Amino acid sequence: MIEMTSILEFFRQDKFALVGAIIYILFILVALFAPAIAPYDPQEMVRVDGRIAFNREPEKNFKLGTTNMGRDIFSQLIYGARPALTVGFTAALFVMVVGTVVGLVSGYFGGKVDSLLMRLTDVVFGIPFDPFVIVLVSFLGPSIWNIVLAMALLLWRDTARVIRSQVLSIKKRAFVEAARVSGASHSRIIFSYIMPNILPLSLLYGSLAIGWAILTEAAVSFLGFGDPSSISWGYMLHDAYVSQALSRGAFYWMLPPGICIMLLVMAGFYISRGAEEVLQPKLRSM
Amino acid sequence: MSWKSKIASSLLICLLFLTLSGGVIASQGDRVIRPIYVITRPQSSAPDEYETLSYLTAMMTELGIDARLRVVPWEQQSDLVWFERDRWDIAGWQMTARPERLDPDEFIYNLFHSSTTVDGYNFIGYVNPKYDAIAEAQRVTVDPEERRELILKAQEILVEDAVYDFTVHPMISIVYNTDVFAEDSVVDMAGMGIRNFWTYINIDPIGDQKAIILNSGETVQAINPFYISGTVDSWVYELIYDRLMRMSPEGLPEPWAAESVEWLSDTEVQILLRDGMKWHDGEPVTAKDVKFSFEAPMTGEVPMYKPFVDVISRVEIVDDLTLVFHLKRPWAAFEAASLAKINLAPEHIWGPLFEDLKTRPENAESIQEDVPIGSGPFKFADWKFAEEVVLDAYADHFAAPKVDKWIVRFVTNMESTLGMIQNGELNFLASYSGDASLLENLVSRNPMLSMVSSVDLGYRFIALNHNRAPFSDPAFRKALVAITDQEFVVEAVWKGYAVPANSVIAPALEFWKNDELKWPQGGLEQARQFLKEAGYEWDNKGRLLYPSGQVEEHTPSF
Amino acid sequence: MTLNWKYIGRRFGQMLLTLWIIATILFFVFRLMPGNPLTAYIDPNFTKEQQEILLEQFGLDKPLFQQYLVFLLNLLQGNLGTSFVYRDDVLRVVARVLPNTLYLMLFSLIIAYVVGVLGGILLAWLRGKKGETVGIILTLFTRSAPQFWVGMLVLAIFSFRLGWLPSSGTGPAGVTYASEWAKFTSPVFWKYMLLPSLTLAIYLLGLPLLLMRTNMVETMEESYVTIARMRGLSERRVMLKYAARNAILPVVTAMAVGFGYAIGGNVVIENVFSWPGLGRLLVDAVTMSDYPLAQGAFLLAAAIMVFMNFVADLLYSVLDPRITVEDMG
Repeated sequence: MIEMTSILEFFRQDKFALVGAIIYILFILVALFAPAIAPYDPQEMVRVDGRIAFNREPEKNFKLGTTNMGRDIFSQLIYGARPALTVGFTAALFVMVVGTVVGLVSGYFGGKVDSLLMRLTDVVFGIPFDPFVIVLVSFLGPSIWNIVLAMALLLWRDTARVIRSQVLSIKKRAFVEAARVSGASHSRIIFSYIMPNILPLSLLYGSLAIGWAILTEAAVSFLGFGDPSSISWGYMLHDAYVSQALSRGAFYWMLPPGICIMLLVMAGFYISRGAEEVLQPKLRSM
Repeated sequence: MSWKSKIASSLLICLLFLTLSGGVIASQGDRVIRPIYVITRPQSSAPDEYETLSYLTAMMTELGIDARLRVVPWEQQSDLVWFERDRWDIAGWQMTARPERLDPDEFIYNLFHSSTTVDGYNFIGYVNPKYDAIAEAQRVTVDPEERRELILKAQEILVEDAVYDFTVHPMISIVYNTDVFAEDSVVDMAGMGIRNFWTYINIDPIGDQKAIILNSGETVQAINPFYISGTVDSWVYELIYDRLMRMSPEGLPEPWAAESVEWLSDTEVQILLRDGMKWHDGEPVTAKDVKFSFEAPMTGEVPMYKPFVDVISRVEIVDDLTLVFHLKRPWAAFEAASLAKINLAPEHIWGPLFEDLKTRPENAESIQEDVPIGSGPFKFADWKFAEEVVLDAYADHFAAPKVDKWIVRFVTNMESTLGMIQNGELNFLASYSGDASLLENLVSRNPMLSMVSSVDLGYRFIALNHNRAPFSDPAFRKALVAITDQEFVVEAVWKGYAVPANSVIAPALEFWKNDELKWPQGGLEQARQFLKEAGYEWDNKGRLLYPSGQVEEHTPSF
Repeated sequence: MTLNWKYIGRRFGQMLLTLWIIATILFFVFRLMPGNPLTAYIDPNFTKEQQEILLEQFGLDKPLFQQYLVFLLNLLQGNLGTSFVYRDDVLRVVARVLPNTLYLMLFSLIIAYVVGVLGGILLAWLRGKKGETVGIILTLFTRSAPQFWVGMLVLAIFSFRLGWLPSSGTGPAGVTYASEWAKFTSPVFWKYMLLPSLTLAIYLLGLPLLLMRTNMVETMEESYVTIARMRGLSERRVMLKYAARNAILPVVTAMAVGFGYAIGGNVVIENVFSWPGLGRLLVDAVTMSDYPLAQGAFLLAAAIMVFMNFVADLLYSVLDPRITVEDMG
């Protein structure tokens, strides 16, 4: 099992991973304390002297200006962390769990189960991702949960393949053989010997999936299939796009949500890159 | 679909259970109005509708109604409103401008006559025998002055009954390049803006660029004189195919391919064709072609145009250039809805195609000629799928255009169109659904650009379902009308680029519009007044209750 | 390097099976979706009778299983049905836009993989230095930015601010290319393709770059490289001649898979640059409830992906003989 000290050690050794973790923590804090940080309700059309304050440039009361409907962009940005993290983490969880289970079962048991699961993986690999999400969301209705569902249905494919080959190689190692010979049950071998060795790998794919999920939500929102009831960064970008923010020179509207998405996605990459190096100590020795 | 009926039956059981248990605990609770779902399209595809309805939802909450905004995609919304007419309560809706709608008949009759409640445009279920009588009478009253009186009266009844919760007529704002085109050469057509047929044949290039290049967010689906497909398709076929009459810039039908149109009686119209007209392939346009063009839609092969020729009993050819249309009954809108609607198509091309169709399951809508042949002022040159359609000027036409090409580009990125009109990739910004104040800004920064804004013939409204209480009650509808602050909608949602609407007839149609309508306004105060007068009450939690004796009999729509 | 025909045959069979399953899933998904497929035709002119005719015309009145059999039979004959909106054969509609999508993908993949391989070599060369960290951060930036956002910014700068490149379409208004070949070889077309493919390439280049770097670093640890180095060859020679040559193999395989991925990923790009391609057609078809067209476009995209996965596997087995049939499942 991964212990606390080894996690700390990992972050201490890898600056990239450390930066990634810090970014995550910052955004999680922002999401948790959004009502305290944001000066306005993100949906509220703010009135100044009785008139709706639309298309304001950044000023003291509106740090990032207001939208064309008089909503405070800064407040939207703060609240936008919530759906981004929700989508990111839930999708990543699904991807990790499904991918790991499929890969594990497939690699460990082999035979018919293996080829059945691998055929299934082939099928899923044959489905183009963005079109699939669009079709699914347009059928089931625009909601972030349907976007998560689409990712849960498809994105486990990479994880499953990688986990499977990892399991195949672990299975051949001496300590697993020894356990088997000494009569350990399947569940004991899986949970005590194999799991600890593949967990870092599945965490790695999980942190990549967070980025995928956030980018996908943004792209789907941009194409007009987004969840209209939750103000995510993707939604904000889409709102800015349909309101011609660039043409009105409202970079304070178009840039911040994009930058937030980039930071959050990048944080996932940083952590996974760090993890990758831990997994391949050969590289670290250089 | 069986799963749908399964859901329906389980709903029914639930309903039964609820009714039974309700009967046992009969109390004031039954008078509380159910949660009302306000249906709108997403902000992304219809920002104005979304903002207007979310505003209405907030106001309804103030009034003590449990109103909930429900955002659904367009397909789902139209499916619900159109096909499940007893299942929804409130939905955003709009009627768009089309040349044939310049005649009041379609809006006055189709939208509100009780005969169209089942599967026609009267999806709100408005039934008023008094109104029906007037709507029917205006159809057969050929004398314009007499018909006008009826149209004015009809509008009055619609306001009294608060049939729709009207919001606005939007402004159509169109920008064009004055370095390329002479400034006074565009034509502002009543309720249609300068994006119209008359502009396309009149617009005058003054520089080297002789082509008008305009944009559309949608792509052309088909170029077929017998198929009413998308909006931009109609721009194209209006130019390729001529019609006997065309709606004039003032909004009235005037002879076009016909030299003259003469009513011999209430049911007989004599047409004299212009001499010397030719199809784009050089063949002459004859009375036979005209007869063919009107008779083809009478068969089952042209379903979409059928209603426009239904009134014709026969078309009689007098000589090569003269025809008489015999009508089954008088129809006041015949010129606008039929003579100015039906595309003239060459019999020598379409005759054999229709023969062939008789043996196939498809109809005429599935035919796409490689080079569509018409007799209009522009002829087909090229169609690059999902990219552009190019038409060439037809120099031999009696109203030959001044530009030498008409090109429509399909640009999905609305933001791009603003850049393109500035860098010259476009010279006529024909479709722009964004914020009009940006256009104004654009024009003030670029001396080479000019903008024309005109009030749309079409309008936005909030559809209230008369089939379901409390919307069946005019007083309740009036209360909703009163809380829909049109000034707010104009200012905040439309940024001033719209005018309040109170009728299906646009202000641009000066002849038909009733100027003396009293549209209920006055906000929450007035709304509470309307409700109190009709017997509605509020419970101690501030929830709105039906008048005593009336209980909730509908279930929420979601 | 010998071709293992048995393996290829088996893999080909699996590919067909995969395609059949995807087609089946698609069929049922599209038929079971909520809503009335006739919604697209709401028009007062449509009576119940006419709606029934339409239902019949599109075969929607038959039992589901029968529809499925007809669908499969038609599929085998290359008949994907008739588009609701265009009233035309789906395959013909799709064929009009497919070349544009393929050009765009090919061009951006070439940019991405050339830049990516060179960048990967550079980063490996710079390993342990500040430059490596900066390079990695920059690369991760390109991979983290939403594509449409980059596209919008690129448009705002290069098309509208600087006016260097056109913003939409595949050619100037009213200009027609004589043939697909004329179009493909026309400099004008390439000028129109530059911005969208650059935007797509920015996104795609992260994978080959990081992959190349990792492979380089790994191969440089291999014994033959160490030997070469000990023989006194210059570091640059060692890197290019020995390490890069071997490190590039997995990148080539990744490119085949990348091709398949790109076909899904360009949906957004095509909409930003109004590029008349498969992704935009698919989005339009979904928005207009044109199920046969959406289904056809989807199926085609899937077929390309499945085929490219197949190619990637073959390449992999040829380039890396260590992989046995068993390992591939």
